[in-house]
Amino acid sequence: MVSALALVAIFTFQESRKVATTRVFSLKNLLMSQTHTEGEYSILVDEQGRILDMMARRIYINDEFIAADNHRYKVIRVEGNRAICREIGIEQLSRGEEKVVVPSQAVAPVQAEGTQVIGIYHSHDDESYVPTQGAESIPGRGGILKVGTAFANRLRSLGLTVIDDQTSHAPHDDAAYRRSRRTAVGLLQKGAAAIFDLHRDGVPDPSFYRRNINDQDVTMVRLVVGRENQNMSANLDFAKRLKAAADSRYPGLIRGIFIGAGSYNQDLSPRALLMEVGTYTNTLPEAERGATLFADIVPPVLGVAARPTAARTSSTAADWKGVLFVILAVILGGGAFLIVSTGSWDKAVSRLKQFTSIEWINLLGWRRARRPVMPREEGREPDNQKEMVKYVKKPAPESSSNNEERADWQKD
Amino acid sequence: MTGYTTGVLLLVIIFVLVYFGLAHRVLDRLYLSDRAALALIVAMIIGSFINIPITSGRVVTSVNVGGGLIPLGLAIYVLYRAGTAWEVSRALLGAVITAAVLSGISILTRGREAWNVYGLSLLDPLYYYPLIAGVVAYLVGRSRRAAFVGAILGVLLLDLVDLFYYLSRGLRGTVAFGGAGIIDVTFMAAVVAVLLAEFIGEARERIQGGPKADGRPRSLLAGLRGASLKPLPDNKKDNGGEQGE
Repeated sequence: MVSALALVAIFTFQESRKVATTRVFSLKNLLMSQTHTEGEYSILVDEQGRILDMMARRIYINDEFIAADNHRYKVIRVEGNRAICREIGIEQLSRGEEKVVVPSQAVAPVQAEGTQVIGIYHSHDDESYVPTQGAESIPGRGGILKVGTAFANRLRSLGLTVIDDQTSHAPHDDAAYRRSRRTAVGLLQKGAAAIFDLHRDGVPDPSFYRRNINDQDVTMVRLVVGRENQNMSANLDFAKRLKAAADSRYPGLIRGIFIGAGSYNQDLSPRALLMEVGTYTNTLPEAERGATLFADIVPPVLGVAARPTAARTSSTAADWKGVLFVILAVILGGGAFLIVSTGSWDKAVSRLKQFTSIEWINLLGWRRARRPVMPREEGREPDNQKEMVKYVKKPAPESSSNNEERADWQKD
Repeated sequence: MTGYTTGVLLLVIIFVLVYFGLAHRVLDRLYLSDRAALALIVAMIIGSFINIPITSGRVVTSVNVGGGLIPLGLAIYVLYRAGTAWEVSRALLGAVITAAVLSGISILTRGREAWNVYGLSLLDPLYYYPLIAGVVAYLVGRSRRAAFVGAILGVLLLDLVDLFYYLSRGLRGTVAFGGAGIIDVTFMAAVVAVLLAEFIGEARERIQGGPKADGRPRSLLAGLRGASLKPLPDNKKDNGGEQGE
């Protein structure tokens, strides 16, 4: 066991040593340094070397992203912090049965049936904006919390109910998502129809995320979808519809949609998104304005509009795709497990047959087997005799012989 | 959950069925009958909505009935039924090592989300928690039950570490033990860890051509199918064996 752990540690260290273009790995550095350095970022280029995008996260092969111009790219190669991408298509975002109609002015809507609740939280609540706050990370009181407040206030003025959860999920590490999962579930339990996890990016160039919309400097917003969960299609669909709405109302507001490795607790809801509002070198007012503009286009996408008939978020083909994916995963995974544990195809099939007959008897058969298994007194009719024999044969479910029914593949 | 229609609901239902089906299978293995396992799952689902607050103020703590208390109770029950002190300490050691490894990873990823360590952000923590718990539990405890105990106590230990972090640094924070209920990392890690331990164990036995029969006490071998039991020579006694895995 110790050698296994040592091997894992060695392997991990080797891997990071290979990545020469990012900072030199040093154990002391890692353990001692408490401040994280924004400024480590990935550059996404196309096959001609033109820069397509930049983001402060590690990129992996098969990550995809939809750029501001709706071109969709897939990462085919990663060299250090450069990701080489190939274009795989152009997204048609405004086509389809549900064309999103965005009112040209922000109208406080007539209360549609079922006022929708929105949940906002921050997995990394320490993220801050340097020009305004002087630091990129302020544990427990990050600037991103103020951006969340601005977002929430705007949504409320548009008639939505918003739960702006400012729970701190410090420290800023991988486990932050384990902590924020609880916050996210709390929001869903309170009835949130959609949940947004607000972050900010770590790209050093402020103009990369800055845009001038309606005569004001605002930050662009990037939407991030985690591709490691069953809701990926549904969340991506939600992101695309938000982008379509934003593109028609505030062109240039959405930096793009990134579909990356990770789950980000988006398995909890088919309307869960991670938003990156600007980068740490933008000012806090810029970020607040960017989030406010984004808030304008959320209600129409969710279906709350000044139309009395509008009500619910409708299901899409993407949701059905998710269903199919899960069913397929169960069949394949379960099948693989069954074959490994029983050793052959025939045995797996007979085990499956056993499952459909005996398992349910174990679960539901207690009612019948409650009758005494002792032989009855004389004077009983022959049919009861037959019944008696039948019941004796069935195992009493409470006894430990229960497990012997499954001795085939339960080695305990 | 307002505003969902068929496709979305079906997606949710499918995920729920699969997850609870697996959880039921796992609980079956832990000295529980089928019906008790089902009852516990229902209890956990209902308990997912019940949070018991412990402290408030700068550091807020609470424990979720479905995601924290019931899994903790299960872990204790499994330990209690384990039989030998060796088995119990093995399972607890697994929990401590799981927590240590996961803490180590968290410290490594502090600040830039696993930027420094290639591959860690490839897999979401939601998945590598149970993977590590399962592998560690298998290596240390060699049993499904150790995997279960290791995962649950390991994640709860991590939450305790967080608590010390907030208290020692004067930061505000929230520690919700098992806060997300039955879909919290605590129980999810335990379910996947047990399945993983089972899968690794089964695959390993398949590869080595059957369970290891040498050196095992007779009472354990008697439960195996096939002729792995040789008759005892006259002067040997069967001393019984430790609790089976």
